[in-house]
Amino acid sequence: MATVPILGLKTHSQKVCSLYKRALRNLESYYDRRNVFRYQAVLLRARFDQNAKECDLRKATELLKAGEEELFQIQHPIPKKFAQSPGGVAFERVVTPPDWVLDYWHPLEKAQYPEYFKKREERKKEFIAMWEKEYGQSDKKNSH
Amino acid sequence: MWMSSICFIWGVFFFFLSLFMFYWVIYLMMNNIVYFLEWEVISFNSVKIEMGVLFDWMSMLFMMFVFLISSVVILYSKSYMSSELNLNRFIMLVIMFVLSMALLIISPNMISILLGWDGLGLVSYCLVIYYQNIKSFNAGMLTALSNRIGDVLILMSISWMMNYGSWNFYFYLEFMKNDFEMLVIGGLIMAAAMTKSAQIPFSSWLPAAMAAPTPVSALVHSSTLVTAGVYLLIRFNYLFIDSYIINILLLLSGLTMFMAGISANYEFDLKKIIALSTLSQLGLMMSILSMGMGDLAFFHLLTHAMFKALLFMCAGLIIHMFNDIQDIRYMGGISLYLPLTSLCFNIANMALCGIPFLAGFYSKDLILEVVMMSNLNLFVFFLYFISTGLTVFYSFRLSMYLMVGDYNLMSVYNLYEEDYVMLKSMFILLVMSVVSGGMLVWMIFPYPYMIYLSLNMKLMVVYVSLLGGLMGYLVSVMKIYSLNKFIITYKLSSFLGVMWFLPNLSTYGLNYIFLSLGGKMFKNLDMGWIELYSVRGISLILKKNSIFYNFFHMNNFKIYLFSFIMWMVMFLFMLII
Repeated sequence: MATVPILGLKTHSQKVCSLYKRALRNLESYYDRRNVFRYQAVLLRARFDQNAKECDLRKATELLKAGEEELFQIQHPIPKKFAQSPGGVAFERVVTPPDWVLDYWHPLEKAQYPEYFKKREERKKEFIAMWEKEYGQSDKKNSH
Repeated sequence: MWMSSICFIWGVFFFFLSLFMFYWVIYLMMNNIVYFLEWEVISFNSVKIEMGVLFDWMSMLFMMFVFLISSVVILYSKSYMSSELNLNRFIMLVIMFVLSMALLIISPNMISILLGWDGLGLVSYCLVIYYQNIKSFNAGMLTALSNRIGDVLILMSISWMMNYGSWNFYFYLEFMKNDFEMLVIGGLIMAAAMTKSAQIPFSSWLPAAMAAPTPVSALVHSSTLVTAGVYLLIRFNYLFIDSYIINILLLLSGLTMFMAGISANYEFDLKKIIALSTLSQLGLMMSILSMGMGDLAFFHLLTHAMFKALLFMCAGLIIHMFNDIQDIRYMGGISLYLPLTSLCFNIANMALCGIPFLAGFYSKDLILEVVMMSNLNLFVFFLYFISTGLTVFYSFRLSMYLMVGDYNLMSVYNLYEEDYVMLKSMFILLVMSVVSGGMLVWMIFPYPYMIYLSLNMKLMVVYVSLLGGLMGYLVSVMKIYSLNKFIITYKLSSFLGVMWFLPNLSTYGLNYIFLSLGGKMFKNLDMGWIELYSVRGISLILKKNSIFYNFFHMNNFKIYLFSFIMWMVMFLFMLII
């Protein structure tokens, strides 16, 4: 899904592309028939293309600002989101915790399942041995 | 495998229990019997704490419906929750919910009502947060806290009822009607019922609770939990006849009905649309109840339970087929791929609209005709009829979005034919959605209501329904050059589409004030003045003094020796003199 760029410095063209994508997604929320949406999307593209050749960066920045403002003013109150994407209804509904979480258990918590953790440590050693047998030992210089 | 699953066992158990209840309803009705069993737990200073159960036709009939819906929902969960790792936990939660509801239904006593009521609140919280993601946690917290207000109000009414020496409200309703204290209790009960039945201003939790799995929504948030408030007020109905506080309920429930009808037209989430439709119907029940017709409210409660549960189950199946997508903008043309589900969905929708001879017709039409007969003011009259039109409006819009048009999600798709486990359980409710209205009207009303109206008044329901249907068609037709009505009326639509900003009132509106107040109190009082003067201050003073006394304590041997020598010197000095 299109999101507002927040990390790092973005070039002007990246910002315009991001605005375009978000504007398209917003249009999609309003026009739910495919043919109607396509028609509106072409109109939107034409508006962007009109100023695509703008060389004066001051003017281009102003246009971008106006575009952001316009998008904000007609932001759909119930945006169309994919169910499993962030903001969707089923986002993170089924979460499988990664295996390393168990390594960060408190020793007291681990002590409640002594046999399992004992076996887990053995398996770790076996896994390292298997790895080293197959791929060789890692170079000590490269390790942190 | 299928026969031995927990869903099958409990589903069949509840189904037979509901048949047993049906037998009891017939028995109690035919012989005009009420069983009231009561046993005393403790008695002191003329205050008696008793546990009682009340078996009359009303409680038995409600139990029958609850058990029937539970049985089909549990059977349905077998397939819907098939990928769930903890299916047993889920089914146990549902069963606990049903038992809490049963306790609430058969209780004639405020304390046991509180037990059932609290059980409902707690279990519904556990069920809302079942999919443990952020959305469901937020929704669960909103649900639990909104319902908690109702719990507190019931607790307050219990403490107030201690004045009477017993909590069997059943004995007080008719005899102590003019007593001011009983009226206060009535007011508290009314407000508690409004929280459970999600009336304004407590409405925002009901659409939020749609974060629960769909079978839960079908059982809990459509037909049983939310009707607990209506049922409680039906039991307390005698108290409110001719009292002025009921007018507040009439206004608020009318507004709820209207607000929910409008919001449903702006909503795009399939389950939320159905939830808002539930809210609208709850408003209808509450408002007819506040006009003193508890029997009509009860009748609509039962018929509504049937078709609304069916509607939710159809929605669940559609969501299942669409891989958890609930937005109706992605859907379309499903009648070609899921014909049987579409059949059930449309029949349930028509029953909701009050199309003749389906379940909703008998109750809704009767209610509206009684409203027309009862000389209400124009405002309430308009609320009723506009809301009826809105019901048809959003139902039609929903059907248009789902059934007509193109499939909107992806270009390559394969919606397979339906899941027969789910369909089987849906068909039970389908039959009930068709026949339950007629069946109940013969059972509940021994004498027909006398309705006397002019032709146009009689046809008013038909007029508003046709108008609603037309509007529903117009808003869901989108041509390539047509203006987008939403953007033209952006500000108004934003206001109407989010339940008149009610969710903001009960989330940011309340939380911000109390959290910032709490933050300031924590910073300035808990960590500031109180810390300085009470906790830290006292401990500092004690510490200082202790060190000072400790000096003497640790040096006590020297002091004893010194005082002994001094004493000896004084003694010798006295001897010499």
